[in-house]
Amino acid sequence: MSKTVLTLKVQPNIPLEAELLSPDIIAPLGNQEIAALPVILGKRQKRLDDFFHIEGDGSETLEIHGDLGRVKWIGRGMTRGNILVHGNAGMHLGAYMKGGSIEVGGNASDWVGGEMKGGSIHIRGNAGGQLGAAYRGSLSGMKGGTILVEGTAGIEVGMRMRRGVIAVRGRVKDFAGLQMKGGTIVLMSGAEIRTGAWMVRGTIISLEPLKLMPTFEFACAYNPVFMGIYAKSLSSKGFNIPYKMANGCYRRFQGDSSVPGKGEILVWNPNQ
Amino acid sequence: MAGNSKLRITGARVYDPANGINGEIKDICICDGKIVADIEGGRTINATGMVVFPGGVDVHTHVAGAALNFARGMLPEDHRQNDPFVRTRNLRCGISGATPTSFVTGYLYAGLGYTTVNEAAVPILTARHTHEELRDTPIVDKSTCVLMANNEILMELLEAGEYERGRDVVAWNIWAAKAYGVKAVNPGGVAGWKWGKDCKGLNEIVPGFNKITPRQIIAGLANIVDDLGLPHPVHLHCNNLGAPGNVSTTLEIMKILENNRAHLAHLQYHAYGGDDWFNMCSASAKIAEEFNKRKNLTTDAGAVLFGNTVTITADGPWQHLLYKLTGKKWGNIDVENETGCGVVPYVYKEKNIVNAVQWAVGLELLLLIDDPWRVFLTTDHPNGAAFWRYPEIIHLLMNADFRREQIAKLAPEAIGRILLPELNREYTLFEIAIITSAGPARSLGLPHKGNLGVGSDGDVTVFSHTDDVAKMFAYPRYVIKGGEIIIEEGEMRNTVEGKGILSKPFYDPKVEDFLRPQFQQFYTVSFDNYPVEIERIEHPDIRPCKGVQS
Amino acid sequence: MGGKVSCTLGEVKNRADLIVYWGGNPAECHPRHFTRYTLTQKGKFTPNGRKDRTMILVDIRETPSVKAADIFLQVKPTKDFEVITLLRAIIKGQSVDQAQVAETGLTLEQLQDFADRLKKARFGVFFFGMGLSMTRGKYMNSAALLTLAAELNAFTKFVAMPMRGHGNVTGGDVIMRYTTGYPFGVSLTRGYPRFNPGEFSTIDLLIRGDCDAALILGADPAATMPQPAIDHLASIPTIVLDPKVTHTSKIARVHFTTAATGISAPGTAYRMDEIPLPLKPILNSPYPTDEEVLKRIYRAVSKKPPLMPPVKINSPDKLTKSGQKAG
Repeated sequence: MSKTVLTLKVQPNIPLEAELLSPDIIAPLGNQEIAALPVILGKRQKRLDDFFHIEGDGSETLEIHGDLGRVKWIGRGMTRGNILVHGNAGMHLGAYMKGGSIEVGGNASDWVGGEMKGGSIHIRGNAGGQLGAAYRGSLSGMKGGTILVEGTAGIEVGMRMRRGVIAVRGRVKDFAGLQMKGGTIVLMSGAEIRTGAWMVRGTIISLEPLKLMPTFEFACAYNPVFMGIYAKSLSSKGFNIPYKMANGCYRRFQGDSSVPGKGEILVWNPNQ
Repeated sequence: MAGNSKLRITGARVYDPANGINGEIKDICICDGKIVADIEGGRTINATGMVVFPGGVDVHTHVAGAALNFARGMLPEDHRQNDPFVRTRNLRCGISGATPTSFVTGYLYAGLGYTTVNEAAVPILTARHTHEELRDTPIVDKSTCVLMANNEILMELLEAGEYERGRDVVAWNIWAAKAYGVKAVNPGGVAGWKWGKDCKGLNEIVPGFNKITPRQIIAGLANIVDDLGLPHPVHLHCNNLGAPGNVSTTLEIMKILENNRAHLAHLQYHAYGGDDWFNMCSASAKIAEEFNKRKNLTTDAGAVLFGNTVTITADGPWQHLLYKLTGKKWGNIDVENETGCGVVPYVYKEKNIVNAVQWAVGLELLLLIDDPWRVFLTTDHPNGAAFWRYPEIIHLLMNADFRREQIAKLAPEAIGRILLPELNREYTLFEIAIITSAGPARSLGLPHKGNLGVGSDGDVTVFSHTDDVAKMFAYPRYVIKGGEIIIEEGEMRNTVEGKGILSKPFYDPKVEDFLRPQFQQFYTVSFDNYPVEIERIEHPDIRPCKGVQS
Repeated sequence: MGGKVSCTLGEVKNRADLIVYWGGNPAECHPRHFTRYTLTQKGKFTPNGRKDRTMILVDIRETPSVKAADIFLQVKPTKDFEVITLLRAIIKGQSVDQAQVAETGLTLEQLQDFADRLKKARFGVFFFGMGLSMTRGKYMNSAALLTLAAELNAFTKFVAMPMRGHGNVTGGDVIMRYTTGYPFGVSLTRGYPRFNPGEFSTIDLLIRGDCDAALILGADPAATMPQPAIDHLASIPTIVLDPKVTHTSKIARVHFTTAATGISAPGTAYRMDEIPLPLKPILNSPYPTDEEVLKRIYRAVSKKPPLMPPVKINSPDKLTKSGQKAG
């Protein structure tokens, strides 16, 4: 399969906005056309090849090498194809994306998959805050798709999300699932405080004990049937969550009663 | 600012209803910013095959002020969804959508061929801020109406029967706010809202007061405005806005105003039958029938279009209800002793029965009121829809077939509750020129606006004449403001500053001796800091009043 | 989703019978607040002044403001968000987790009494300070109190407003809103306004080193911002307009000494309730006003070839409807 390989040759000293780094845009273009694509450095318009060495013609697979920690909006609104970033990625990675996949070898910054509708994002390192979140003022965050993070993540993971799955292997910071309206967040290593604050609906699964808001109440301890289905789907991606009675059970908390909401937080309680 | 160049527009069909000109081909000449009979030399625009209107006049819109600015801050998601205005060599950048930023507001209005707008709700206490925004709203001339119907000092005077002092207070406040007219919003109801209550019946005593009722406030203010001889009559937002069955209130108010001039704002929101949200229906026939008889009244449609917008009104209790109905966001600011304001983002949906009825009622009123000189095109921007969507309404008015196509998209349950499917009237270009320009200019009392007679302001809009009405009115070919060409070949090439239109009614200067101690007691700003300095008004144009002089 | 329910200070003076200060110390930070607007003034519907009002102070420690309060509620540090969220549940009659309540520093009885007082007030007001808005949870703490105030309107009249810091912060907000549509954290790099606090807000830009020059007006960030932000300011060309020498002017490349606004330069300042007040100068200054300096800088910059905004490409915000008519 052919691929397009970009290698960062000049490190931008201020943020570089490069929303055209998306298979939808690049696939139909030849090498020279890709080189001439506009990117924005601060307030100035530049060419893509001012910063990147570009190999190959356009294709459905975009491979990017280098520390792109200051490169924003990679894969914005993409609907198909793959982006592989061998290095770090800047803010708004895969924001508004509808399909395709993005994989980042290093760390990603804030707003990964902001308001995404479909597709999948996999971060091997740590992610910043606002994973799959709603942009300020919007009523809904992500409405579909999957975000997987192998490292840690920041605040407001899945803020106002409506559908889709977010799974984080490392610990996440405050306000995971803030004002969540649906979908699932899986916290493999727990979270800091205010998890599920003001949630309306949706499911947060934590494999570690959580410090809950006083507006969540214990409902029951059980092993929901759907957990088996979740577990199978997530285990194919390397995220193993327990679901068998023999190993323990989930303590179900319901809230946030301040809304009042019908969200659920399921905290794994292994057999001692 | 007045253009000192000469300009001739030749070859176009001219629609100048104020002068009885209905589509005649004639030249329009402008010299030094004013329409003249003829010129020699100067530039000529060949507008053969095009249509010429006097510059548009919006009688009721909310384009500046603390309330609108409060709404702007609440709607980042709306700002993101609309095409932004990118900075160019001669235009500033900004945001469009339901609450355009100040510069963009000027560009968008001029982009529709509008050259005069009336900001319909200004609290005196924040008038200084409204004028700051209006200074940064280019191209269009701007008048304002000051909010008086819940002013507690005035209400106490009316309650005590001190009519003359009340009149002086109103006149003093108009000049203090550097306003042009008087707005009355939900008389008594906003004052009631200060206690979380409303004032639904016209004979109910206003909460917090001893005996004054909405009826007395309405009658008192209408008399005061007429006695002061303000160019524009009292600009009234009736009680019970938006409520099913409010038709009875509106009819009753028309009766109260029998012997006065009055402008009833956004009539669509006041023409509902039924008695709850489940059986709400159009009462436009009753309203139009009564309105047609009462030649002392003018009104504007306050039409609704489907889509996202934000509702902003001084009607606090209504906004709280709307917040509870939508469950989304709600903003509210009460202004001490004067008024209040609420902000609720809203989406009008075709499949929502209530919304479908509202959409139909706005159009029905425009079609059922027989005299176009008394009903004007508005959406109560941004409440019913953003003003830059006016061309969509013009399309609906001019084309009954298109209207029927749109009716077919409504929730089927709505059809039995509206009259619109039975109405076949189609507006002519002549009538459109009346409801978008000549009529509102006359109601506002601006003889130099809304017409192309000799001596009037050189505000002229040239449209291509095409069958695609919505497009024709959305993209004028030329817009001329005060003799300056703003839009040329559909492109904005130039901007100018607009004027501030004011009125200075007579008042006994001794009224300040009465007001000063009231201020010290009930306000939190010093009396001397309250009036807006005239220096803050951009190109002030003080219009004469014909009323009491001593 | 709640909202923002506010009023001008005269409404508080004339009507408020329940005044709650949350995370602030007005006795020391806004010393005239009690006497001019909130507590001791005799208003139209509060003819007996202080006697007609109840004041509740919520803070994590005792401050001199406690003396002015009828009720002092001491919450544990960083528990404000939990307390406010509990109140939201309690006013709606929802049940809460008893064991967790204790960790807030308040008992369920105290919270229930507080909620009852909020609901029974004739006209209630929350004033909140930086003890709420700048502690863990930051803007969500403010959002919580604003939402609680909005929800209380189902029972009575209730408003909330922030106690702003020094200077004309409110005026900055107001002007930004009507020129760009957003109150702060705005980027114009693409030729039109974009908003994203955390991305475009000053401290975040500086800490990440995302800007390569700074123009500072009416503020002294080097006195208040975190050290990494100050270090970045010192490393880039920073221009300061200020009447006096400040921490920031000391690390700046250029410092324009300007006339002090309100003393020797005219203008408008916005009070915390967004009331614009005219500033009338009383002294002459040998220095130019901020406005004059900015205009001269602008004129000089205008002589350079214009840097037009980048071409409009698939722009970073979602674009669906067309609002643009001309230009």
